[in-house]
Amino acid sequence: MSSGALASLDRRLLSGLCWLLAAIWVFGLVLLPQLFMIETSLWWLERDPQATALSQRIDRLYQEVMLRELDLQAAPVERRPLLEDEIARLREEIALLEAREQQPVKVYGFANYARMSGLHLQVFLRTLAYSVLVTLLSLAVCYPVAWTAARARSRRGRALLLLALVIPYAINELLRVYAWLMIFDYEGLLNALLVRLGLVDRQSGGIPFLTYPFTTFVAMVYAYILFMVFPLYNAFESLDEHQVEAARDLGASTWLLHRRVVVPHARPGIAVGCVMTFMLSAGSYSVPQIMSRGLGGDWFSQLVYRQFFEANNWNIGAAYAFSLLLACLVFVGLVMRLFRVGIREIAR
Amino acid sequence: MRFDRLVAVEPTDLDIRAGEFFSLLGPSGCGKTTLLRLISGFLKPTTGRILIGGRDMAGIPPSRRPTALIFQNLALFPLMSVWENVAFGLEARGVAKAERRRRAEALLELVALAGSADKKPAELSGGQRQRVAIARALAVEPSVLLLDEPLSALDLKLRQHMRHELRAIQRRVGITFVYITHDQGEALTMSDRVAVMRRGRIEQVDTPERLYEEPATAFVATFVGGSNLVPARVRRKAGTECLAETPLGNFRARNPQDLAEGAEGLLFVRPERLRPAAGHDNRIRGRVVERAFEGPFLLFTIETSQGQRLQVQWLNEGDVHALAAEVEVGFSAGDARILPPGPLADER
Repeated sequence: MSSGALASLDRRLLSGLCWLLAAIWVFGLVLLPQLFMIETSLWWLERDPQATALSQRIDRLYQEVMLRELDLQAAPVERRPLLEDEIARLREEIALLEAREQQPVKVYGFANYARMSGLHLQVFLRTLAYSVLVTLLSLAVCYPVAWTAARARSRRGRALLLLALVIPYAINELLRVYAWLMIFDYEGLLNALLVRLGLVDRQSGGIPFLTYPFTTFVAMVYAYILFMVFPLYNAFESLDEHQVEAARDLGASTWLLHRRVVVPHARPGIAVGCVMTFMLSAGSYSVPQIMSRGLGGDWFSQLVYRQFFEANNWNIGAAYAFSLLLACLVFVGLVMRLFRVGIREIAR
Repeated sequence: MRFDRLVAVEPTDLDIRAGEFFSLLGPSGCGKTTLLRLISGFLKPTTGRILIGGRDMAGIPPSRRPTALIFQNLALFPLMSVWENVAFGLEARGVAKAERRRRAEALLELVALAGSADKKPAELSGGQRQRVAIARALAVEPSVLLLDEPLSALDLKLRQHMRHELRAIQRRVGITFVYITHDQGEALTMSDRVAVMRRGRIEQVDTPERLYEEPATAFVATFVGGSNLVPARVRRKAGTECLAETPLGNFRARNPQDLAEGAEGLLFVRPERLRPAAGHDNRIRGRVVERAFEGPFLLFTIETSQGQRLQVQWLNEGDVHALAAEVEVGFSAGDARILPPGPLADER
């Protein structure tokens, strides 16, 4: 076999491997868990009240057995036969009752989705609204930064600016959020500064920043800033410098330049940044958990977590999680429609 | 104008008259684009002043100068329709939409694009896009239109057509055109006056005719049109003429720079001024080593016994097939000039 044929076989093998990995990723790590979650959200266990009473009785009997067994270990030899008899009798009764016991019935339906309380629905809608705010805030912060970086005349300045943006990402997300916690806490930097400036009375305990949703926004904007900056940066950088100069030369103000030339050109980049930031914020658990610590309002992701790991009800948890995903997808679809951006443009 | 240590344009006095078609001609890297960007305001001069209509432009940004720039790549706004492109400058000046549209259509009519107002620039041909760029620049009613090699992207036929078009438009609107090009043909055919630049210096400013007939330096002589240069020394001066001593013999030639007797120089004759020898005092005999038939002309190269090669261009009067293997060419004293030694255009 010639080396050329070998190379082409190699290439085919390699691309086959890549496809396989991609397929494993998409099916095994995205689709299957989602399907499992959807399935889980569509059923619940149902038992009639009598059955509940029965299983409670069985539980009680088991406890009795355990107590007798403990007694047995401590009892003098002459009392043991009596206790052993009693344990045997209890076990018989348990066996009898267990024979009558039925397995709870697995019922399929959409009821899990209808079970959201008014309060939780409120949290759900508020989370979507908050995520929109975080996205807009992030866009407002990142737009000038990305523009400055993309238009920087010297290559060095541009590289330094981008490096400065990337460096914080070398540390753990939790640490980045804790940094904000240290700033906004009661005894935090900001309060200390305000006390020092005499704007806040030390006795009052400082301003309770952490109870305001705004602090969570700030931490979140910071946590996800790169997901907004880089799509914007790429979009801005691909804009021909002459377009900017032509607009300036024709007398355009900064506002007109951006409205008519830059934003239309950067639309796909803006859409990508917004979609990513929105999805990340709506699904963020650690940031609201750390920043608000229950002092501020809950985000929906925290409710989902509690359904899974505190209420131990995976069925409702799955229904909550899937609702959030669905709402986000619908929202993203609407935004893309609004900005007239296609999937293909986003993939660019 | 300096960039760090690089001097892009040496201190220069250049006076462009109102309403003329003025070209800056020079090889790439000679500083002509820098000069244009200085005029348009995208660069600030390190020293010196730029006056437009007697007004000092220092501190006035491109958007407020009475200039409009046409970029090499045109820099049309790809996402706007043709008429929106043309009307962009008016939009920047706050003209109402209906009025913008009306004026854009009038301008499109001027450049013979009346039916294309609602198309996108990408739907137009190269020449049409060119005219859109001109209309867009004219819309802001500049007193100076700056054109940065706008024809360089077009194919030869279209380029020749656009030369006439540009000249006609300039006559119609009557404003000053400052046109940058490295193509001497463009500069000669379109311009009222041409400035030839080399390495940040202006070598000569003149009408196309005088530039061709009376080049002031060896660079201009070789950059504009074909040329023959032979090392020479002024042997005897006689009024505006002189006797030049060269390896090929002594020739009578004009001495426009008034070189002193004994001074070194270059004897310069255009290829088409080397005619059949009969009736001329200045004669050179040589072997024909190359010939190229160009239809209306015959171009050939002769080599003298000293090894000097000379280019000759004869009009085709039906007898070129009879060109002998060895010819004698002659030229009149009025067609030869002795120029001070200096750098040549290095394109040959």
